[in-house]
Amino acid sequence: MSSVMILEQILNFIVDTYMVEIDEIPLNESLIDEGIIDSFGLIELASFLEKAFLIQVNDDDLTRDNFSSINKMIALVDRKKSHD
Amino acid sequence: MTNNIERCSKCIQSKNYPKIKFEENGVCNFCNKKNKSTKIEASFIDNAKIKISNLFDNRIKRGEYDAVVCYSGGKDSTYVLKLAVEKYGLNVLAFTLDNGYIAEVAWKNIRKVVDSLGVDHWVYRPSSENYKAIARASAITDVYRKNTLTRISAICNSCISMVNITALKIALEKKIPFILAGFTLGQIPINAIIYKNHYKFLADSRLESLNKLREEVGDVVDDYLCIKDELINEVKEYPHNVNILCIEDVTETEIKDAIAPLGWVSPKDVDGCSSNCMLNTFNNYVHEEVFGYNPYEMELSHLIREGLMTRSEALDKINDSSVEQIAPIMASLSIEKNDIISVKNVYDSKR
Repeated sequence: MSSVMILEQILNFIVDTYMVEIDEIPLNESLIDEGIIDSFGLIELASFLEKAFLIQVNDDDLTRDNFSSINKMIALVDRKKSHD
Repeated sequence: MTNNIERCSKCIQSKNYPKIKFEENGVCNFCNKKNKSTKIEASFIDNAKIKISNLFDNRIKRGEYDAVVCYSGGKDSTYVLKLAVEKYGLNVLAFTLDNGYIAEVAWKNIRKVVDSLGVDHWVYRPSSENYKAIARASAITDVYRKNTLTRISAICNSCISMVNITALKIALEKKIPFILAGFTLGQIPINAIIYKNHYKFLADSRLESLNKLREEVGDVVDDYLCIKDELINEVKEYPHNVNILCIEDVTETEIKDAIAPLGWVSPKDVDGCSSNCMLNTFNNYVHEEVFGYNPYEMELSHLIREGLMTRSEALDKINDSSVEQIAPIMASLSIEKNDIISVKNVYDSKR
């Protein structure tokens, strides 16, 4: 799966779940800092990544760095998929 | 109050709810979206049922208790306590945060239910001065982002955060693997039925509101909304929060019928949306004044869409408010009408 396809699925999920328009979603900024998600949003996103991309998000993966932007989340999914 | 506001013709979400659109026949976009996503939700819940069974069946005994149950004395957490003990066979510690506003009848319910189920019970009462300061700051400053408050009032959010953090402290100190609470779908997202309560991971998302509360109240908020590094640094595994009520297909009447044999009765001195807390009417009042909609709209509309409540029952609930309690609560929290107008202006300026 390409990074573009991963991006598309994450964006669709965010638009659908958090009542934002696609052009309001930053790719390199924190979704928390932008007021798009809260702590439940982080839980939801981690769960979404597991189910949508069939990866296992472990405790060690739950870091600010991995979830601090959409591009960081895509990188996490890429890394996890490449280790499959 | 929002009694006469324009609402969806199927649910009760109103015209001021964020991002709502009324489509054909006055049906809102949330109801129409639900029609498309029913199958996905059903498979989520089926998977959650399997995962919960596996988690409970394969639990490893590390301490005295299997689960800490956040027990407010309301009907939903009473039902969760009953399920935990009788359906899942867990050895539980019930925990109640006494915020000073729990109705007398609710306290009687709490004592009868814990005795009837034979469970240990722990009550934590924050100092009244500190609790009121946190509640006041939550109500009259923009502590939380608007998106956080689409399904909960600001004071309820602070109170529930105290409950969650205290429950996590108890779980970590006593090595309890599960934290249960009376949340329903509509109150929490479907992806949050089961989750690892990873304090460090979630701490960043709470930092902005925590800093605002510190500015208003002082560092004493850390005693209620943070966990000390000494405890967190020792954690080998965080407990799971498991919201078992979300996988039950049950109506409010069925819940009340199920808990009645434990001695639970409906309190009369609370509003239609709460079965334990006398702050609720005031919290809803502030939310309606500031945002123009009732914070229970999402939760009750979810129950309507699931066929667990009628639209008329839901409307009765949000219209059943103990308005006579608003002025005394405002006085007890030293809040004036102008304070609420000020915070409304702050939120409005962010639109």
